[in-house]
Amino acid sequence: MQLRYVYSELGQGLRRNLSMHLAVILTLFVSLTLVGMGVLFQQQATKAAEQWGNQLQITVFLCRNGDSNPVCPSSVTDAQKTDIEAVVRDNPEVADYHFESSETALDKAKELYGEELFSGDNPAITAEDMPQTIWITLEDPEQFEGITSAVQGLDGVSRVQDMRKVIAPILGALSMLQWVALVTAAVLVFAALLLVANTIRLAAFARRKEIGIMRLVGASTLYIALPFLLEALVTAIIGVVLAGGALAAVQQFGIEGRGDDTLKFIPWIGWDEFGLALLAVGVLGPLLTLLPTLVLTRKYLKV
Amino acid sequence: MIRFEKVTKTYPGHPHPALDNISVDVEKGEFVFLVGSSGSGKSTFLRLVLREYRPTTGRVYVAGKEINRLASWKVPRLRRDIGTVFQDFRLLPNKTVTENVAFTLQVIGKSRKEIKDVVPETLELVGLTGKGDRMPDELSGGEQQRVAVARAFVNRPMILIADEPTGNLDPTTSVGIMKLLDRINRTGTTVVMATHDSSIVDQMRKRVIELENGHVVRDQAQGVYGHQV
Repeated sequence: MQLRYVYSELGQGLRRNLSMHLAVILTLFVSLTLVGMGVLFQQQATKAAEQWGNQLQITVFLCRNGDSNPVCPSSVTDAQKTDIEAVVRDNPEVADYHFESSETALDKAKELYGEELFSGDNPAITAEDMPQTIWITLEDPEQFEGITSAVQGLDGVSRVQDMRKVIAPILGALSMLQWVALVTAAVLVFAALLLVANTIRLAAFARRKEIGIMRLVGASTLYIALPFLLEALVTAIIGVVLAGGALAAVQQFGIEGRGDDTLKFIPWIGWDEFGLALLAVGVLGPLLTLLPTLVLTRKYLKV
Repeated sequence: MIRFEKVTKTYPGHPHPALDNISVDVEKGEFVFLVGSSGSGKSTFLRLVLREYRPTTGRVYVAGKEINRLASWKVPRLRRDIGTVFQDFRLLPNKTVTENVAFTLQVIGKSRKEIKDVVPETLELVGLTGKGDRMPDELSGGEQQRVAVARAFVNRPMILIADEPTGNLDPTTSVGIMKLLDRINRTGTTVVMATHDSSIVDQMRKRVIELENGHVVRDQAQGVYGHQV
């Protein structure tokens, strides 16, 4: 097959329908970016759920000096701690537990908020201000009411916190973002399909004379359709590269650069998950342009 | 070479068939005029040969193939055995004469060397030596039609179909084109030509098939255009 003709047709076709190709590329770019974002959000949600799902813990905050809770007249005593531990140990819902001292809690706080707040002659917060805690890992994450109510009323217990209450809104927000991205992407993907279809119709019209002659002299359908398919592939590749760049920017500046620093307690996605999003975009992009091209060239270029 | 067996072609939405139960046999190497008024079925006849359509009923054989049964993907191969010339030339305006003729060979995948050899030969045959670098709009109508004939014949097809090839040309130029078609016919190529041009048909004295409302009303060896024998 003489590819020289095909390449010259490809160049001509790209120039002839430049504005349409640009429209296709931009629509592809935005819709593929959103698809990629959807994948990233989904990965982030999975990762967060994995982390918090496995370590689904209930945290029992024990009374401290100056506790805001009126049931705590003073810091928890050792006797109270022994009693609480006995209840936790004997509860069938509990798989594992450990104490965390005020000092450990302070260290964790330092890590999250920075050293400055806690150092100097008159630090804003000292170990005294941090509550002692018991971290309870459950046998079954769904079975938590028994242990919660058993511990709740004990002397020396300030409050019981179920981590899920903290995490649920984060997971909810992630899932909502994921759906918003995917639904918007679906609408734009549809627009991209229509644009591709229009571009092919225009291109087939612009080349109707050549195509008519090619058919008459016995050019194969593939030979006639090849410039169209290559055009579709070129626009798809440009769209994928742009979308990949945008996603990489989100990953680099949005997650690696920022989210990681400010929202440390969330396990953030890394470049592995980015690779997965890129793969989705890389497969979807060419499919979005090649499939309608194949279908429509069969229709418009029928021998 | 071309055989129609009780062929009827009805277009969707038209009550009357364009061709109505016609049977025609064209032998290899024959020169046949297809005459008749507009709408008599000449174009439908040619389009069936090219397998642009399939017959509604009946069978059409072209170059030994039954086109009713020919799979779509085999159609391009069939058309490589058929050269086609039209009234309106149908040249590519942005290509030179040589490129227009070479286009046929390019799209069916002939090598560059072969194209280089065959195209000048064919241009010489149609009398366009030295005009290979011209653009179509720099040529007269007769010359443009010669380019179209060269393009149709460059692949040495078994059949040449000509649909009113002299329709846009003056009588003198038309005679030149007819001589060219006659020369091509003498190489063994079967020529089927649809025409309204009575003087050409009368001069050539070839077989004449006359269509009227989709029926063959006359099939005459060495015939003339009108009904006088």
